Amino acid sequence: MIDLIAQTGLNALYAAAYLSLVAVGLVLIFGVMGIVNFAHGELFMLGAYVVVALYAGGQVPYLAVVAIGLAFVGVVGLLMEWTMFRPLRDNPLGGLVASIGFLMILQALVSMGFGVRMAHVPPFTQDVIAFSDRVRLPVQRLIVIGAAVVLLGALWLFLKRTRFGWALRASAQDREAAALQGISINQTARIAMFIGAALAGVAGALTAPLISVNPHMGHSVIVAAFIVIIVGGVGSLEGAVIAAVAYAFIHTIVTTFWDGVIADIVGLSLMLLVLIVKPTGLFGTADRA
Amino acid sequence: MFVNFFRSGLSRRRFLSSAATLSGIGVLGATLPRKVFAQDQVVRVGFLAPLTGPVAAWGKPGLDGCMIWAEWINEAGGIDIGGEKHRVEFIPYDDEYDPAKARAGATKLIREDGVKFIMMLGGDPWPGVQPVAERTGMLFSTLLPSDLSPDTTTLIAPAEVHPIYNVTGVEWLAETRPDLKTAVICAQDDALGLPSVATYLAAFEAAGIEMLEAPILFDPATTDFAPVVTRMLARNPQIVCLDTCYADYVHPICEQLFQQGYEGQILSCTADFYEQIIEKTSKEFMEGFVFQFPDFDDPELNADFINFQEPNRFYEEYAQRFPGQWGAVSWEYASIMDLWKAAVEKAGSAEPDAVLAAMTEGGTAPHAFGEARWWGRDLFGIDNALVGNWPVIAIEDGKARIKAFRSIPDWYDKHGELLKKHMAAYNQLWDQRS
Repeated sequence: MIDLIAQTGLNALYAAAYLSLVAVGLVLIFGVMGIVNFAHGELFMLGAYVVVALYAGGQVPYLAVVAIGLAFVGVVGLLMEWTMFRPLRDNPLGGLVASIGFLMILQALVSMGFGVRMAHVPPFTQDVIAFSDRVRLPVQRLIVIGAAVVLLGALWLFLKRTRFGWALRASAQDREAAALQGISINQTARIAMFIGAALAGVAGALTAPLISVNPHMGHSVIVAAFIVIIVGGVGSLEGAVIAAVAYAFIHTIVTTFWDGVIADIVGLSLMLLVLIVKPTGLFGTADRA
Repeated sequence: MFVNFFRSGLSRRRFLSSAATLSGIGVLGATLPRKVFAQDQVVRVGFLAPLTGPVAAWGKPGLDGCMIWAEWINEAGGIDIGGEKHRVEFIPYDDEYDPAKARAGATKLIREDGVKFIMMLGGDPWPGVQPVAERTGMLFSTLLPSDLSPDTTTLIAPAEVHPIYNVTGVEWLAETRPDLKTAVICAQDDALGLPSVATYLAAFEAAGIEMLEAPILFDPATTDFAPVVTRMLARNPQIVCLDTCYADYVHPICEQLFQQGYEGQILSCTADFYEQIIEKTSKEFMEGFVFQFPDFDDPELNADFINFQEPNRFYEEYAQRFPGQWGAVSWEYASIMDLWKAAVEKAGSAEPDAVLAAMTEGGTAPHAFGEARWWGRDLFGIDNALVGNWPVIAIEDGKARIKAFRSIPDWYDKHGELLKKHMAAYNQLWDQRS
């Protein structure tokens, strides 16, 4: 039983790691730009396909490809900001609809380029850290956990210790007041979009060897990410991380000890409960709810 | 020219030049490929299956196989319908495994394209198509006999009796590895997964293999299978059964089994693209993996009782055109076309009712894996499933090999009540499904 609990904890850590990366990116975009980016799951998918193209297909070293995936998807985020979200800045519903259209375009482009079937990504490493016969942590999963800690730590430092970070936080709190203080709204939007997209892309690139990579893989990730940001509080980065960890542990524990289908029901019930008891989410504020 | 010929009388020069012209036309006609003449008339067949999305692996490879089939048939002169040769043309429609899209596709194929037969994967999209089938009387085929019911007499399951053939793998495994006595099973919670769970439970019970716990069902949207695998391995099973999981699940589950240190027997309905699983795990880990769908380069398929045209050549051609894409369904839709072609030529008509009558006449028909009989009233309320032998496959040294052909009807005669019991428990009998 101890082994089972320990293995479940390791499984949950991995799930929390990649979910945090996706959810924090989604929150950052919403917080600064006020746009619900439905194409965020497809940015996760794009990161995975960078690995398919360059690592599985091009023999480029895996860790280099992860860095390329981060940068590439970040640039795609910049393009989204420039072509879609900036013209629709005063129209949140327009931004949402545009993101839905964009996700379909991304799915279609990837389907045309790589086919509709699951893409094969060879393992980066088959090494496993074995704590016992039944408690094992594959190194690939450890890398995802480590990368999430490093990237989210770096983001926290960026937001708390740099002028750009202050500008982002100011824009997230009150865009007009920030503009009156001389903060460029366009620039903060670009930075938020780049970071948010890059986090989704790097999550996709990191997990690509561990999951089924296909053009529709973003769907399940975005559903979980929305649950997380609603529970954590829309607009709260700390809330997103804590909610991602909580959701991952609850979902993993329920799947392991009861049932995967029940785990989904529990996750959605948790979201409904939070919406009823504290509609702003655990760490959200009323003006963003 | 001919008017002048008769008007002016027959001179030697005119005779020779006219004879040369006529013989030239004759030679030209003789040298043109015969299929040009045969292709003046076309018979269209609809291919209504998921060509995109997570279930595309059980649609698209089948369409690719059909294209090879059509090419071969058309090169050989086409289909003989009432003494006239017809070229075969497939009209594909991507239903995305969605009932509404499947319904729109069926309507379009019938009304706009004038198809005479529609092949489907079946499963979740079928309820959307069923009213169209009942209204039009169009002949449909499904790979999933769980779609069958007495309400739709023009739906047939002539290629595979999913998931009933899974019993052959369990039966073979129990005989060759009698030391294996415990099992766990996981499956996605959908129209493919649940009847398969019921079938495996019946087969395990018939074989005296104990289920260590109730089947573990997961949401089809699951991407991380570590918790599912941890749960299965917690009971130290000797057999891990992957039910009828899609390739998108089989691969990561196998990888997790490998990474979490499992060393026992794996049993699955399919192992599409198993070379990739081997690359993600190891050849040793996958040794002895038992499943149900052969590679068609297997020498066992050259046996006399096999009713599939040149299976080895078909596999070679497929592998050349679509490298690495061979899967469970690559040959199945083509084998249905063999059956349909024979019935059309026998009936002398491509009209659905005439073809169905010719196909089911006498209660038997040639299935890809040997002579089979129309069956299914007990489970599906109608004898529209073609059932006979089915192969059991094991991976040996990194390659899928047929280990045996087993009779599904023989198993059913002995253990049919068990199957009905478990199907009923999962609400999978035809009169329980809505």
